[in-house]
Amino acid sequence: MAEERPTPEEEARRLYDEAEARVAKAAERVVSRESFGEVLAMATENVVALTRIGFDAMDLVWSNLRLAGRRDITRLARQIGRTEDKLEQVLQEVEALREEVDTASDNGAKPASGAKPASARRRAPRSSSR
Amino acid sequence: MNALERMGRTPIAALEFANIVLTERDAQIAVTPKDVVWTHRTTTLYRYRSSARAYAIPVVLVFALINRPDIFDLRAGNSFVEFLLDEGYDVYLLDWGVPDEADSELGLEHYVCDEIPSALREVRRTSGQEETTLLGWCIGGTLSLLHCALEPATSVRNLVLLTTPIDTTGSLYSTWVARDSFDVDRVADVYGAVPGRTVDWANKLMKPVTNYWTTYRRLWQQVLAGEARRDAYQAMAKWVADNPPFPGRAYREWITWMYKENRLVRGRMRLRERRARMSAVEQNLLVVTAGADHIAPRQGTLPVLDQVASADVTHLDRPGGHIGLMAGSKARKEVWPDIAEWLGERSDA
Repeated sequence: MAEERPTPEEEARRLYDEAEARVAKAAERVVSRESFGEVLAMATENVVALTRIGFDAMDLVWSNLRLAGRRDITRLARQIGRTEDKLEQVLQEVEALREEVDTASDNGAKPASGAKPASARRRAPRSSSR
Repeated sequence: MNALERMGRTPIAALEFANIVLTERDAQIAVTPKDVVWTHRTTTLYRYRSSARAYAIPVVLVFALINRPDIFDLRAGNSFVEFLLDEGYDVYLLDWGVPDEADSELGLEHYVCDEIPSALREVRRTSGQEETTLLGWCIGGTLSLLHCALEPATSVRNLVLLTTPIDTTGSLYSTWVARDSFDVDRVADVYGAVPGRTVDWANKLMKPVTNYWTTYRRLWQQVLAGEARRDAYQAMAKWVADNPPFPGRAYREWITWMYKENRLVRGRMRLRERRARMSAVEQNLLVVTAGADHIAPRQGTLPVLDQVASADVTHLDRPGGHIGLMAGSKARKEVWPDIAEWLGERSDA
């Protein structure tokens, strides 16, 4: 039995798929070259330099308008972040101490005054400050 | 479909194609119900609600810093989280959130030495279990490995690494960013938080024709043939386009230490004055690699198998790409069950 011949449309599709696969492979070879890496590094440097000029110009405008600029807001946000770090440390210390009290009371020792009953020791989920 | 039918269908298909592409942001992803357990700065620890728990040891999922962790719970019917819950695991997700310029001083140590230990502590507290499984994907895998290397007393019993970069020698990323002319300090200093779009752009540039042309051409053909799977395409497209910024310091450290100096595999990675040696890792270890992974190539992950001190080491090598391995159409049948089986034997049924 003779093999069924592909229709012109199927043949066109096959040729297109082959061409696309070849172009894709060629593009992957191009981007994996050292020279492409060099071009990419230079292009990145240019984009970064332009971004810096843009940021500086915007900051200058805001500063002259006596308005809080990007840097001022970032500085404030960082301070909030550091405060949250300290709060987290304090909470972890408090929990560690509570666990110690818990263990001591489980072992028969008298809990320290002010220690909450076990049911109250579970910390509720905390919300982020942002 | 003959030529005439195709011609008649083309305007409708064009409308549908445009609609799918333009409304991809409306796709519903990461919809499995979850509760917030703990938050700190941009990090949030979630716990998924489970009704059929069969295993004692909870699973903590950690994803990379360059994409959102929604990929673990992409869409109903194709969600790794949903799969783990159905298998009977208690599942937690560590979400790094969306950092901004104010978080530019956060380095790798913030994630490895502060956030992962704190999250594991909360997992122990809320689950009542002393041990956990830590499952990291991509950079999340490297961060998880670093945690185990630095904390001998960690609660991690099982460590699962999915397509994780360990040795970056010869990778395409290395060709681009390990060179002296790529000034990572300048990029990190100017941006503070490196825009997620640039990282996404770099990832796509690795396979430019496939990512910028073939994806859309295939979708067009599917639409024309009336076979387009709108929900699957839109869910993945939405996730791919959602790239959080990379905190400047963490970006600088990641590029310098992993790509320019390749510290991890050389045993020279130091965080908070402590050296992270893979030889200190003793957890049960499962390493999953993808044969066609161009972001974290398979050969770059394999050195972990020889360097850890774990007595129980398993390596699964599967076909697929960096993301397709776990989120592709075959993952549910060919990858997830293997992971679940490995976990099941080590999670106290």
